[in-house]
Amino acid sequence: MKKWMKIIGALFLVGILAVLYVWFFVYNKPHRDYEKADPDHILAAEELFLKYRQDKALADSLYTGMVVQISGEIDKVESPDSSLIAVFVFDQGMFGDEGVRCILLPNQHTKLKSFSPRDKITLKGYCTGYNDTDVILEKSSIVIEQ
Amino acid sequence: MKRKISVLFIAFLVSGTMFRQNFVTKTGHIKFYSDTPIETIEANNHAVNSALNPKTGDFVFKILIKSFEFEKALMQEHFNENYMESDKYPNAMFKGKVVNAGDIDFGLAGTNDAIIKGDLTIHGVTKAVEENGTFTVKDGKIHGQSVFSVLLEDYKIKVPGAVKKQISESIEVTVDVMLEEVKP
Repeated sequence: MKKWMKIIGALFLVGILAVLYVWFFVYNKPHRDYEKADPDHILAAEELFLKYRQDKALADSLYTGMVVQISGEIDKVESPDSSLIAVFVFDQGMFGDEGVRCILLPNQHTKLKSFSPRDKITLKGYCTGYNDTDVILEKSSIVIEQ
Repeated sequence: MKRKISVLFIAFLVSGTMFRQNFVTKTGHIKFYSDTPIETIEANNHAVNSALNPKTGDFVFKILIKSFEFEKALMQEHFNENYMESDKYPNAMFKGKVVNAGDIDFGLAGTNDAIIKGDLTIHGVTKAVEENGTFTVKDGKIHGQSVFSVLLEDYKIKVPGAVKKQISESIEVTVDVMLEEVKP
Protein backbone atom coordinates (compact mmCIF):
# COMPACT_ATOMS: atom_id res chain seq x y z
CA MET A 1 0.00 0.00 0.00
CA LYS A 2 1.29 3.38 -0.92
CA LYS A 3 2.17 5.84 1.81
CA TRP A 4 -0.39 8.45 0.73
CA MET A 5 -3.12 5.81 0.86
CA LYS A 6 -2.12 4.92 4.42
CA ILE A 7 -2.31 8.61 5.40
CA ILE A 8 -5.76 9.03 3.85
CA GLY A 9 -6.92 5.83 5.55
CA ALA A 10 -5.63 7.02 8.93
CA LEU A 11 -7.27 10.43 8.50
CA PHE A 12 -10.55 8.76 7.53
CA LEU A 13 -10.42 6.59 10.67
CA VAL A 14 -9.65 9.58 12.89
CA GLY A 15 -12.60 11.43 11.27
CA ILE A 16 -14.96 8.52 11.95
CA LEU A 17 -13.80 8.30 15.58
CA ALA A 18 -14.26 12.05 16.01
CA VAL A 19 -17.82 11.89 14.64
CA LEU A 20 -18.65 8.95 16.93
CA TYR A 21 -17.19 10.80 19.93
CA VAL A 22 -19.24 13.94 19.22
CA TRP A 23 -22.40 11.87 18.61
CA PHE A 24 -22.18 9.82 21.81
CA PHE A 25 -20.34 12.08 24.25
CA VAL A 26 -21.38 15.59 23.18
CA TYR A 27 -24.66 15.59 21.24
CA ASN A 28 -26.19 12.63 23.09
CA LYS A 29 -24.32 12.94 26.37
CA PRO A 30 -26.38 11.67 29.27
CA HIS A 31 -28.08 13.89 31.82
CA ARG A 32 -26.19 14.39 35.04
CA ASP A 33 -26.83 11.66 37.59
CA TYR A 34 -28.14 13.74 40.48
CA GLU A 35 -28.47 10.73 42.74
CA LYS A 36 -24.72 10.15 42.60
CA ALA A 37 -23.73 13.82 42.49
CA ASP A 38 -21.99 15.30 45.52
CA PRO A 39 -23.96 18.18 47.01
CA ASP A 40 -22.63 21.69 46.42
CA HIS A 41 -24.39 22.91 49.57
CA ILE A 42 -25.67 21.19 52.71
CA LEU A 43 -28.13 22.99 54.99
CA ALA A 44 -31.44 22.71 56.81
CA ALA A 45 -34.59 22.84 54.67
CA GLU A 46 -35.90 25.83 56.61
CA GLU A 47 -32.60 27.66 56.23
CA LEU A 48 -32.74 27.22 52.45
CA PHE A 49 -36.30 28.55 52.35
CA LEU A 50 -35.46 31.56 54.53
CA LYS A 51 -32.39 32.42 52.45
CA TYR A 52 -34.57 32.70 49.32
CA ARG A 53 -37.23 34.63 51.25
CA GLN A 54 -34.73 37.11 52.65
CA ASP A 55 -32.67 37.78 49.53
CA LYS A 56 -33.80 36.00 46.41
CA ALA A 57 -31.03 37.38 44.19
CA LEU A 58 -28.32 36.31 46.63
CA ALA A 59 -29.89 32.88 47.16
CA ASP A 60 -30.25 32.43 43.39
CA SER A 61 -26.56 33.14 42.95
CA LEU A 62 -25.68 30.59 45.64
CA TYR A 63 -28.14 27.73 45.19
CA THR A 64 -30.04 27.90 41.88
CA GLY A 65 -28.58 25.45 39.40
CA MET A 66 -26.68 23.64 42.18
CA VAL A 67 -27.07 20.28 43.87
CA VAL A 68 -28.39 21.11 47.32
CA GLN A 69 -28.77 18.71 50.25
CA ILE A 70 -31.36 19.58 52.88
CA SER A 71 -32.53 18.05 56.14
CA GLY A 72 -35.66 18.57 58.16
CA GLU A 73 -38.96 17.12 59.24
CA ILE A 74 -41.08 16.18 56.28
CA ASP A 75 -44.61 17.65 56.44
CA LYS A 76 -46.36 15.76 53.66
CA VAL A 77 -45.97 13.82 50.46
CA GLU A 78 -47.95 14.85 47.37
CA SER A 79 -48.49 12.59 44.39
CA PRO A 80 -49.88 14.51 41.43
CA ASP A 81 -50.00 12.35 38.28
CA SER A 82 -47.09 9.91 38.38
CA SER A 83 -44.68 12.08 40.36
CA LEU A 84 -43.97 12.15 44.08
CA ILE A 85 -43.14 15.34 45.95
CA ALA A 86 -41.74 15.63 49.47
CA VAL A 87 -42.95 18.88 51.00
CA PHE A 88 -41.45 20.91 53.86
CA VAL A 89 -43.92 23.59 55.00
CA PHE A 90 -42.73 26.83 56.63
CA ASP A 91 -45.45 29.35 55.80
CA GLN A 92 -48.94 29.85 54.39
CA GLY A 93 -49.96 31.97 51.42
CA MET A 94 -52.55 32.30 48.68
CA PHE A 95 -51.33 29.03 47.19
CA GLY A 96 -51.67 27.27 50.53
CA ASP A 97 -48.55 25.75 52.07
CA GLU A 98 -45.21 27.38 51.23
CA GLY A 99 -41.78 25.91 51.81
CA VAL A 100 -39.43 23.54 49.99
CA ARG A 101 -40.78 21.05 47.45
CA CYS A 102 -38.56 18.11 46.45
CA ILE A 103 -39.64 16.29 43.30
CA LEU A 104 -38.34 12.74 43.64
CA LEU A 105 -36.57 10.68 41.01
CA PRO A 106 -38.81 7.75 39.97
CA ASN A 107 -36.45 5.21 41.58
CA GLN A 108 -36.91 6.97 44.96
CA HIS A 109 -40.69 6.64 45.16
CA THR A 110 -40.75 3.42 47.19
CA LYS A 111 -38.19 4.75 49.66
CA LEU A 112 -40.16 7.97 50.22
CA LYS A 113 -43.39 6.08 50.90
CA SER A 114 -41.79 4.64 54.05
CA PHE A 115 -41.61 8.15 55.59
CA SER A 116 -44.45 9.62 57.62
CA PRO A 117 -45.16 13.29 58.41
CA ARG A 118 -42.78 14.68 61.07
CA ASP A 119 -40.14 12.07 60.25
CA LYS A 120 -36.63 13.45 59.86
CA ILE A 121 -35.34 13.12 56.33
CA THR A 122 -32.34 14.20 54.27
CA LEU A 123 -32.78 14.81 50.56
CA LYS A 124 -30.61 16.20 47.81
CA GLY A 125 -31.65 17.52 44.42
CA TYR A 126 -31.10 20.02 41.64
CA CYS A 127 -32.30 23.41 42.87
CA THR A 128 -34.22 25.25 40.13
CA GLY A 129 -34.97 28.32 42.25
CA TYR A 130 -37.74 30.06 44.18
CA ASN A 131 -41.07 30.87 42.54
CA ASP A 132 -42.25 33.32 45.21
CA THR A 133 -44.00 30.54 47.12
CA ASP A 134 -41.61 27.57 47.21
CA VAL A 135 -38.02 26.53 46.66
CA ILE A 136 -37.98 23.70 44.13
CA LEU A 137 -35.55 20.77 44.16
CA GLU A 138 -35.90 18.60 41.05
CA LYS A 139 -34.42 15.10 40.58
CA SER A 140 -34.34 14.59 44.32
CA SER A 141 -33.14 11.51 46.10
CA ILE A 142 -33.16 10.39 49.71
CA VAL A 143 -29.77 10.48 51.38
CA ILE A 144 -29.12 7.63 53.73
CA GLU A 145 -26.82 9.05 56.37
CA GLN A 146 -24.11 6.68 57.55
CA MET B 1 -36.43 43.25 35.79
CA LYS B 2 -36.35 40.18 38.07
CA ARG B 3 -37.40 42.38 40.99
CA LYS B 4 -40.19 43.93 38.84
CA ILE B 5 -41.54 40.48 37.96
CA SER B 6 -41.43 39.39 41.61
CA VAL B 7 -43.19 42.58 42.72
CA LEU B 8 -45.89 42.03 40.08
CA PHE B 9 -46.37 38.44 41.18
CA ILE B 10 -46.46 39.33 44.87
CA ALA B 11 -48.90 42.16 44.08
CA PHE B 12 -51.12 39.59 42.42
CA LEU B 13 -50.85 37.32 45.44
CA VAL B 14 -51.65 40.19 47.80
CA SER B 15 -54.61 41.25 45.70
CA GLY B 16 -55.56 37.59 45.76
CA THR B 17 -56.13 37.72 49.48
CA MET B 18 -59.20 39.82 48.71
CA PHE B 19 -60.58 37.00 46.63
CA ARG B 20 -63.17 34.85 48.27
CA GLN B 21 -62.38 31.83 46.18
CA ASN B 22 -59.11 30.91 44.49
CA PHE B 23 -58.23 27.88 42.47
CA VAL B 24 -54.53 27.09 42.40
CA THR B 25 -51.93 24.48 41.51
CA LYS B 26 -48.22 24.08 42.07
CA THR B 27 -47.88 21.15 39.72
CA GLY B 28 -49.10 22.62 36.45
CA HIS B 29 -47.52 21.54 33.18
CA ILE B 30 -46.06 23.75 30.46
CA LYS B 31 -44.54 22.33 27.30
CA PHE B 32 -42.33 24.06 24.73
CA TYR B 33 -42.33 22.42 21.32
CA SER B 34 -40.21 23.24 18.29
CA ASP B 35 -40.51 21.37 15.02
CA THR B 36 -38.24 21.80 12.00
CA PRO B 37 -37.40 19.41 9.14
CA ILE B 38 -34.07 18.74 10.89
CA GLU B 39 -35.14 18.27 14.50
CA THR B 40 -38.09 18.13 16.87
CA ILE B 41 -37.40 19.54 20.32
CA GLU B 42 -39.69 19.27 23.33
CA ALA B 43 -39.24 20.56 26.86
CA ASN B 44 -41.52 19.97 29.81
CA ASN B 45 -41.96 21.73 33.12
CA HIS B 46 -44.18 20.07 35.72
CA ALA B 47 -43.66 22.55 38.56
CA VAL B 48 -45.83 25.43 37.34
CA ASN B 49 -47.54 27.70 39.86
CA SER B 50 -50.90 28.91 38.60
CA ALA B 51 -53.94 30.63 40.11
CA LEU B 52 -57.39 31.57 38.86
CA ASN B 53 -60.04 33.65 40.52
CA PRO B 54 -63.28 32.56 38.87
CA LYS B 55 -65.15 35.63 40.12
CA THR B 56 -62.82 38.27 38.71
CA GLY B 57 -61.20 36.18 35.95
CA ASP B 58 -57.71 37.01 37.22
CA PHE B 59 -55.34 34.34 35.98
CA VAL B 60 -51.61 33.92 36.54
CA PHE B 61 -48.93 31.34 36.04
CA LYS B 62 -45.27 31.41 36.93
CA ILE B 63 -42.48 29.03 35.99
CA LEU B 64 -38.87 28.47 36.89
CA ILE B 65 -36.89 28.19 33.66
CA LYS B 66 -34.41 25.69 35.09
CA SER B 67 -37.30 23.29 35.77
CA PHE B 68 -37.68 22.60 32.03
CA GLU B 69 -36.52 19.11 31.12
CA PHE B 70 -35.28 18.08 27.68
CA GLU B 71 -34.64 14.64 26.28
CA LYS B 72 -31.05 15.62 25.48
CA ALA B 73 -28.78 17.07 28.15
CA LEU B 74 -26.95 19.23 25.60
CA MET B 75 -30.20 20.88 24.50
CA GLN B 76 -31.09 21.60 28.11
CA GLU B 77 -27.68 23.21 28.64
CA HIS B 78 -28.01 25.38 25.52
CA PHE B 79 -31.58 26.31 26.44
CA ASN B 80 -30.53 27.55 29.89
CA GLU B 81 -27.14 29.03 29.12
CA ASN B 82 -27.42 30.42 25.59
CA TYR B 83 -31.06 31.03 24.72
CA MET B 84 -33.05 31.68 27.91
CA GLU B 85 -30.07 32.86 30.00
CA SER B 86 -31.78 31.36 33.02
CA ASP B 87 -29.15 32.61 35.49
CA LYS B 88 -30.09 36.16 34.46
CA TYR B 89 -33.83 35.54 33.91
CA PRO B 90 -34.79 32.61 36.20
CA ASN B 91 -38.56 33.02 35.81
CA ALA B 92 -41.20 33.39 33.15
CA MET B 93 -44.74 34.42 33.97
CA PHE B 94 -48.16 35.33 32.66
CA LYS B 95 -50.47 37.69 34.48
CA GLY B 96 -53.82 38.62 33.03
CA LYS B 97 -57.52 37.94 32.90
CA VAL B 98 -60.02 35.53 31.46
CA VAL B 99 -61.82 38.19 29.43
CA ASN B 100 -65.08 36.27 29.22
CA ALA B 101 -65.03 34.99 32.83
CA GLY B 102 -68.42 36.59 33.40
CA ASP B 103 -69.95 34.28 30.78
CA ILE B 104 -68.48 31.10 32.36
CA ASP B 105 -70.20 29.33 35.22
CA PHE B 106 -67.22 27.83 37.06
CA GLY B 107 -69.61 26.07 39.41
CA LEU B 108 -71.16 24.02 36.61
CA ALA B 109 -69.50 20.91 35.14
CA GLY B 110 -68.54 21.25 31.49
CA THR B 111 -65.98 22.67 29.08
CA ASN B 112 -65.92 26.38 28.41
CA ASP B 113 -64.04 28.31 25.73
CA ALA B 114 -62.02 31.15 27.17
CA ILE B 115 -60.24 34.24 25.90
CA ILE B 116 -57.22 35.08 28.03
CA LYS B 117 -55.56 38.46 27.81
CA GLY B 118 -52.57 39.77 29.71
CA ASP B 119 -48.81 40.19 29.90
CA LEU B 120 -46.44 37.35 29.14
CA THR B 121 -42.88 37.77 30.42
CA ILE B 122 -40.14 35.55 29.02
CA HIS B 123 -36.38 36.22 28.98
CA GLY B 124 -37.01 39.53 30.78
CA VAL B 125 -39.24 40.84 27.98
CA THR B 126 -42.92 41.53 28.67
CA LYS B 127 -45.44 41.51 25.83
CA ALA B 128 -49.20 41.89 25.76
CA VAL B 129 -50.84 38.70 24.48
CA GLU B 130 -54.35 37.44 23.81
CA GLU B 131 -54.88 33.69 23.47
CA ASN B 132 -57.69 31.17 23.39
CA GLY B 133 -58.06 28.30 25.80
CA THR B 134 -60.55 26.16 27.65
CA PHE B 135 -61.57 25.70 31.26
CA THR B 136 -63.15 22.36 32.04
CA VAL B 137 -65.01 22.12 35.33
CA LYS B 138 -65.25 18.64 36.83
CA ASP B 139 -65.38 17.21 40.36
CA GLY B 140 -64.84 20.65 41.92
CA LYS B 141 -61.62 21.23 39.96
CA ILE B 142 -60.95 23.55 37.03
CA HIS B 143 -58.77 22.17 34.25
CA GLY B 144 -57.26 25.03 32.22
CA GLN B 145 -55.68 24.34 28.83
CA SER B 146 -54.26 26.56 26.13
CA VAL B 147 -51.96 26.13 23.15
CA PHE B 148 -50.34 29.18 21.57
CA SER B 149 -47.19 30.24 19.79
CA VAL B 150 -44.44 32.62 20.78
CA LEU B 151 -41.91 34.11 18.42
CA LEU B 152 -38.36 33.92 19.77
CA GLU B 153 -37.62 37.30 18.22
CA ASP B 154 -40.43 38.94 20.24
CA TYR B 155 -38.68 37.97 23.48
CA LYS B 156 -35.15 38.77 22.25
CA ILE B 157 -34.12 35.11 22.36
CA LYS B 158 -31.18 34.72 19.99
CA VAL B 159 -30.35 31.39 18.39
CA PRO B 160 -26.81 31.09 16.98
CA GLY B 161 -26.54 30.66 13.20
CA ALA B 162 -25.02 27.18 13.52
CA VAL B 163 -28.24 25.72 14.99
CA LYS B 164 -30.76 28.14 13.45
CA LYS B 165 -32.18 25.46 11.18
CA GLN B 166 -32.70 23.09 14.12
CA ILE B 167 -34.88 25.45 16.16
CA SER B 168 -38.16 26.90 14.95
CA GLU B 169 -38.56 30.68 15.06
CA SER B 170 -42.03 30.09 16.47
CA ILE B 171 -42.30 27.89 19.57
CA GLU B 172 -45.56 26.17 20.43
CA VAL B 173 -46.43 26.56 24.11
CA THR B 174 -48.94 24.23 25.79
CA VAL B 175 -50.34 25.19 29.19
CA ASP B 176 -52.13 22.51 31.19
CA VAL B 177 -53.14 23.30 34.77
CA MET B 178 -55.46 21.38 37.09
CA LEU B 179 -56.63 24.01 39.54
CA GLU B 180 -58.05 23.12 42.95
CA GLU B 181 -59.82 25.39 45.39
CA VAL B 182 -57.70 26.63 48.27
CA LYS B 183 -59.62 26.37 51.49
CA PRO B 184 -59.05 29.35 53.78
